[in-house]
Amino acid sequence: MFVEYTWLVPLVPAICFILVGFFGNKFDKHNGGGYLAIFGVAFACVLSVLISIEFFTSEAYSDPGYVTQQFTWFVFPGGFEINIGYYVDTLACLMMMFASFISMLIFIYSLGYMHGEGKRKRRYFAEVALFVTGMLGLAISSNFLEMFIFWEIMGLCSYLLIGFWSFSHPDGDDKADNAASAAKKAFLVTRLGDVSLMAGLFVLLFAFKSLDYTVVFDAANIASVDHNLIILASLLIFGGAIGKSAQFPLLDWLPDAMAGPTTVSALIHAATMVKAGVYLVARCFPIFCEASSVLLLVAIIGGVTAFFAATMALNNMNIKKVLAYSTLSQLGYMFLALGAGGYMIALGIETGDTALIAAGSLGYTAGCLHMVNHAFFKALLFLCSGSVIHSTGTEDMREMGGLDKKMKITSITMLIGSLSIAGFPFFAGFWSKDLILEQTLHASQFGAAGWVFLVLWILAIITAFMTAFYMFRMWYMTFRGPEGKNSKHCHGESPRSMTIPLMILSVFAFGFGFVLFFGFDSLLCIEIEHGQFRVGGGEAEGFEYLVDFFTNVWTYVTIALVLLAIYIARAMYSKRTIDPAKFNKNGESWLYKALTKRWWFPYMYDQISWKLGYGVARGVEYVDKNIVDGTVNGLSNAVVGSGDLMSKAQTGNVNNYAAVVMGGIVVLFVAIIALFFFMGGL
Amino acid sequence: MIPIEFFLAFAAILFAIGAYGVMTKSNTIIVLMCIELMLNAANINFIAFSAFLGDATGQVFVIMTISVAAAEVAVGIAILLNAYKIRKTTETDALTSMRW
Repeated sequence: MFVEYTWLVPLVPAICFILVGFFGNKFDKHNGGGYLAIFGVAFACVLSVLISIEFFTSEAYSDPGYVTQQFTWFVFPGGFEINIGYYVDTLACLMMMFASFISMLIFIYSLGYMHGEGKRKRRYFAEVALFVTGMLGLAISSNFLEMFIFWEIMGLCSYLLIGFWSFSHPDGDDKADNAASAAKKAFLVTRLGDVSLMAGLFVLLFAFKSLDYTVVFDAANIASVDHNLIILASLLIFGGAIGKSAQFPLLDWLPDAMAGPTTVSALIHAATMVKAGVYLVARCFPIFCEASSVLLLVAIIGGVTAFFAATMALNNMNIKKVLAYSTLSQLGYMFLALGAGGYMIALGIETGDTALIAAGSLGYTAGCLHMVNHAFFKALLFLCSGSVIHSTGTEDMREMGGLDKKMKITSITMLIGSLSIAGFPFFAGFWSKDLILEQTLHASQFGAAGWVFLVLWILAIITAFMTAFYMFRMWYMTFRGPEGKNSKHCHGESPRSMTIPLMILSVFAFGFGFVLFFGFDSLLCIEIEHGQFRVGGGEAEGFEYLVDFFTNVWTYVTIALVLLAIYIARAMYSKRTIDPAKFNKNGESWLYKALTKRWWFPYMYDQISWKLGYGVARGVEYVDKNIVDGTVNGLSNAVVGSGDLMSKAQTGNVNNYAAVVMGGIVVLFVAIIALFFFMGGL
Repeated sequence: MIPIEFFLAFAAILFAIGAYGVMTKSNTIIVLMCIELMLNAANINFIAFSAFLGDATGQVFVIMTISVAAAEVAVGIAILLNAYKIRKTTETDALTSMRW
């Protein structure tokens, strides 16, 4: 009843984008069409909730585990048919619900946050509406090409929004240039991943002659296609996910993307954009699970990114940058969970061990749950930091401090978000993070590459410790301790339109983890019947998880580490009993420098692009100048030169001409005689 | 009777002298005269072969050639006179500006 109208979910925000983009300032002078954008995304949110409720409860949809409807878009020779339509399963339902809900809150918040932007609010609200269209369209696409189109729409919107202040920045021209270059960087770096994704789609199209999910994920089709082609396609598609979700080694654009408005950062980090990469991997599980080595790579990339991004957040002074690094780190956790779970599923399929497949399915659940939890607490944290920036006018945490009395709501909601991301017991982040750690440890018992997961598990435990530390370092530096120079003239709590979304989000950031006990694992898990993958339809274990969690000794170790990290952060930045300067030797230690320089990642990119890119460019220039141009110039020189040479023969002297005539006659004569000889005459 | 080889050798010598003169002399009058020498060497060949073969066609050709040569010399001298009027010289070395 509602499922048939799934196509409206991205369409309504898209229509709002057009209306706001063209007429925003006409019908809404104060907010540039903001209310229409909010209406569009609210409509999408309500509709997606209705669709999800119908999909989850109706028996009619439970058999294949998905609903799809599509029509032929175009056909091209060789039997390739490209369709367009929607594909709803529990993963798509989850994606569109949390993306539209969080986007709606961010839009409402934007009414207050972007208050001073004047006429440019029209542009802002049009672009964010398109951004949400991209994410919702991605979630319900029925084939890879349609998905890729929405994927690219998001890439475009991230470019436009990160560079929102590139024309004129409230803090001056330097910031405007910074925003412009950050936008370019985000666009170009994600483009690298997108090229890889596109190549992956070509491989899939070559192998399956179709890009429909129903065709590509069909067990019989997968079995009939060359195994190596599928592995190649998986690796290339994962390259796209790396670019979009800013994983190692394409992680450097996300911290720079902080140059945009804070609400845009919240959108990119929580509801859209970076979640698309995780979604893509989760969506492509049927082909990823063809080879355990692919998922091992996913897990390694995730684990390494989680660790390194967390280290970079340890000493950063910019409140938004700390959050950006924590996003990278949490995305790493999601990939780690998907990799570990998928690794077990792949091994289970190889050995025919159904228990192992069931165990791996939990990794999928953990990854998806962490994705949603992260969306809630990261949106909350970004909006809180936006609220702080809005009232203090700075992003530097050294200029804040002691704000908890002036901004009560922001400080409490941000505390909830920080506890959630740190994995404090019973907060949302705790459940999913613990599940991920447990999965990684579990995966280390299987297969020849099990020891890798043991290493990744140790990294993940250390990352959990660092996460708790840097989040509470941020919280204490902002809200406790002595007042910085900007907190003295802070103008109090933010307006209602900003604080109400914070309160709503903090409820979810605290409580969303409990869905694990109310059937979340039966909706988002991998079930395999006769080799056919499907999402959802498993058995809900409910409160058995509670027993699992609290009979596991490592849970207590993690909790102890988190509490220790919070205690250290409090001692260093609130009580001042430990001097932070002692650890970094006043910024002289090599580790401190390495972290400030982001482990030389930007330097590495520069070197690669200068040395390699410039080298290639020089080589190309050489070929162009000397071979392409050389051929043309050489030809013309040859013609001109021979002309010059011939013109020398034209002396104008009659005697010379006569001599040439004579010579010609002699040559002719000799030639004729020779010819006679050859012909046998004379 | 004088053998034909003598005529041919004589004509060849005459032709060579003419050709040498055309190629080396810078005085235009002498060049014209040398051209006449070469022409007449060819005429001698015609006559010699005509006598040798007992065929009068060669002699007819020679009369034709002589009349054409006369016309040709008249044209040549006329060009020379004009050139002399304009350039005050008839040396071939000085008359080199007529190329393209």
